[in-house]
Amino acid sequence: MDIDNIIENIGLYVHIPFCRSKCRYCGFYSRPVEDYDVERLIAAVITELDNCNCIGSIQTVYIGGGSPSCLPEKSLLRLIEYIYNRWKNIEEFTIECNPGQVNIEVLRKARKLGVSRISIGAQSFDHAELEFLGRTHNVGDITNAVTQAKNAGFDNISIDLIFAIPGSTILSWRQNLMRAIKLGVPHISAYSLSYEDGTILKQQRDAGLFAPVDEETDRAMYELTEELLEQAGFEHYEISNFARPSFRCKHNMRYWQNKPYIGVGPAAASCTGNQRTKNIADIDKYIQAVETNGTTAQETINLSAADIASETAVLNLRTADGINIEDYRQRHNLDICNVFAGPIERHCSLGLIAREKNNIRLTKNALPIADSILCDFIID
Amino acid sequence: MDVKHIRNFSIIAHIDHGKSTLADRMLQITGTVDSRQFKDQILDDMDLERERGITIKASAVMMKYDYNGETYMLNLIDTPGHVDFHYEVSRALAACEGAILVVDATQGVEAQTVANTYLAIESGAEILPVLNKIDLPSAQPDATAEEIEHILGMKKNYCFKISAKTGIGVKELLDAVCELLPPPADRSGEPVAALIFDSHFDEYRGVICYVRIFAGKLTVKQKIKLIGSGKIYQILELGKFGPKMTPVSELGTGEVGYVIANIKGLSDITIGDTITDAVQPAEKPIPGYKKPMQMVFADFYPGDDTDYSKLRKAFEKLSLNDSSFSFFPQNSPALGFGFRCGFLGLLHIDIIQERLERENDIDVVQTAPTVSYEIVTTDGAVKKIDSPSELPDVTQIKELREPFVTLEIITHTDSIGGIMKLAENRRCTLIKTDYISQTRVMLEYKAPLAEIVYDFYDQLKGISRGYATMDYKFTGFEESDLVKIDILVNKTAVDALTLIVHRSNSEARGRKIITKLRKAIPRHQFEIPLQVAIGGKIIARETIKSFRKDVTAKLYGGDVTRKMKLLKKQKEGKKRMKSIGSVQIPQKAFMSILDTSD
Repeated sequence: MDIDNIIENIGLYVHIPFCRSKCRYCGFYSRPVEDYDVERLIAAVITELDNCNCIGSIQTVYIGGGSPSCLPEKSLLRLIEYIYNRWKNIEEFTIECNPGQVNIEVLRKARKLGVSRISIGAQSFDHAELEFLGRTHNVGDITNAVTQAKNAGFDNISIDLIFAIPGSTILSWRQNLMRAIKLGVPHISAYSLSYEDGTILKQQRDAGLFAPVDEETDRAMYELTEELLEQAGFEHYEISNFARPSFRCKHNMRYWQNKPYIGVGPAAASCTGNQRTKNIADIDKYIQAVETNGTTAQETINLSAADIASETAVLNLRTADGINIEDYRQRHNLDICNVFAGPIERHCSLGLIAREKNNIRLTKNALPIADSILCDFIID
Repeated sequence: MDVKHIRNFSIIAHIDHGKSTLADRMLQITGTVDSRQFKDQILDDMDLERERGITIKASAVMMKYDYNGETYMLNLIDTPGHVDFHYEVSRALAACEGAILVVDATQGVEAQTVANTYLAIESGAEILPVLNKIDLPSAQPDATAEEIEHILGMKKNYCFKISAKTGIGVKELLDAVCELLPPPADRSGEPVAALIFDSHFDEYRGVICYVRIFAGKLTVKQKIKLIGSGKIYQILELGKFGPKMTPVSELGTGEVGYVIANIKGLSDITIGDTITDAVQPAEKPIPGYKKPMQMVFADFYPGDDTDYSKLRKAFEKLSLNDSSFSFFPQNSPALGFGFRCGFLGLLHIDIIQERLERENDIDVVQTAPTVSYEIVTTDGAVKKIDSPSELPDVTQIKELREPFVTLEIITHTDSIGGIMKLAENRRCTLIKTDYISQTRVMLEYKAPLAEIVYDFYDQLKGISRGYATMDYKFTGFEESDLVKIDILVNKTAVDALTLIVHRSNSEARGRKIITKLRKAIPRHQFEIPLQVAIGGKIIARETIKSFRKDVTAKLYGGDVTRKMKLLKKQKEGKKRMKSIGSVQIPQKAFMSILDTSD
């Protein structure tokens, strides 16, 4: 990340590009951990952090991947400790964790070094589904991981779930949800299975090796998720995210609020000022760039005022709060109701947008078809 | 130059029979174009023409050629070969004394060979029949010569055998042009009379008129009058096409060249008008060429309402260079403000639309092409209707008439059955069957134009495996049992989808339309009923189900740029569509209503 003098509060994302094995649906950049000199990468990540002039301004931290939990204990703790020592007043510090890779000692140490939140990639409580996805953990690992995290002193635990997996039914999804609720975690992300470009899963679908879940079932599963989780006391605060009160993920909220963040590590993305950059998506080249004091950015996009205003609108609308009219005016010097008068009126009349006193937000009916609405909130 | 040494001629041919290649070879042999700078098919000016391999606009070139120790000035006036552009052929022929008729010896006589030959005969031009591509192993020069004699009535022994590609026989053909084609009549002593046979618009110099001098001469600075319009101008520049525009001080009787006279817009002149001297005018105009008739109409609407004035400017620009294209404002309750445009035929529509997009970067929505109708109202008045939505209430109509054409199709005998079936389905009446040879036949039909405007040609090509060729000629309006079909999308009648069809197939047609619409209109956020109404009665219904899922499940920091791009694309996709109430209709939906294929 090539950033100078960041004054405002920002989020920090660290990408750990390693996995034990690649899941069939995963479109993120990750490589087999055994093929690389992990310490050297962590050293490079820390050097990249060293080069960031953002002392005292990190508000949220998220270490994701890949799977950070596949790192050797020493490497992971070294990274955590660096962040812990450098920045005070971090409000939320999340680490992603593979259920099969939980070690209570590491979790305890991490907790002491300021890590406050664990995000567990549970995905499914159905063995066959886990296998279909190419996950290596089993159902028991999930329960175990949650228990260990609790025992290590974490109360802010999240699990990820995937629905609309081929072969699943409304009933099997209901069972999944009930199991998830029973775990007693305060945050659940539930994603409809997406077929990302370049994934094996997509190739296999396109080759007709399996039939994806039909649209109607997918929609019903989504609606069921909302229904059951709301009954269980969760708030549906973003398209795919549910949290008990005060447990919304602060780091992820930054993305949807279109607030600045920096990303370090290979393939990590940053958004600062009017720039969006993406780091080199290649471990060796990334390390080389850091070690030779070169730029780690592979792609830098300069955004116009209109681009930024569009992003704010699109991202905000993903959340339950939607767009705050006054905040939007102050930030972009635009009257949202004016700029998007046409789309707002059209979607209001179809019951897809709710226009409240202070906010413009998507209705429940709109969430499953959000993209068809969000695309109208782009300024040319 | 002495008129005796001037030859003005055109090359006429069916498309792809080698007209442009022959022109190129002549330019090379006469040394008009340096071989080094030679770009194939010099006469096809616009990119579009070269890409499509067709010549849209007539263009002229002057060549110098030595024959029998004397230098001749040969003016070649190029003509297009496509069915839509008869008027271009006839305007070119009006400026000539002779025509070279090129027939591909591997293909034989085709529909446009016949149509173009008739035009040449009507214009009084001397015709030199030429068999081209004789170098190819599949060439059948003798059989083709037989066809020329049988169908066109020219002596087979007089056919020249050439290969425009290799140059075989082209020099002999040029000799024949000097030897056999008549020179212009010597009317140099008379008051000047020059036929405007083409024009183009130059941004800096205004209108450039392509002229053929029939009598007298034009000189620079001369005050001239257009006999038809009565307008007076002063000549700023005269010139010849060599093939680039080359200024000269005067153009004499028999010569072909251009006139620049500070004429602001193409609407100020009429192709076919006569230029004469303002002080000593010629008494009579030169008999002009046949005026083009617009037979096919389609509406164009800007994809984005704010582009209306941009679209108008684009049309103005296009009409500057194409006087056979017309447009006038149209306000459709469903589609908003747009233009109703008149065309010569379907290829013409394609060309205009492509130029519109290529040269102007405007998204347009085009409605399905329709023909003109004539109605006799109850009070006896006869009215021409260019759009189905203009049709008054049935109670006010005494008689409805539709345009008929004579349709000529040339095909292999083995596809006759399929073609006859197609023609029958399209309400065509067979007039004549004429065997050109043992394997080829010419069918002549009386056909309603409406039945052939859309995809008849494609179907014909399909049935005959690409072999059949067709041409048509408007004959007149005749009474017909026609009804109006309304299409309701989400309970709203869409005027742009209104159609006039023959009663016998109205119901089947209506059903087909909504079936196609159901496939062409993407699913929406809500359910959309599609209905067909004839005379206010709903006769068919289809439903487009709403889509249920369209959302990106995961969107975090690293995904924003890519997602914004995708949303932008999604938005662009919507923009290409037209809103009818809250329903977005893509352009292909409008076209699908005339698509009668299955």
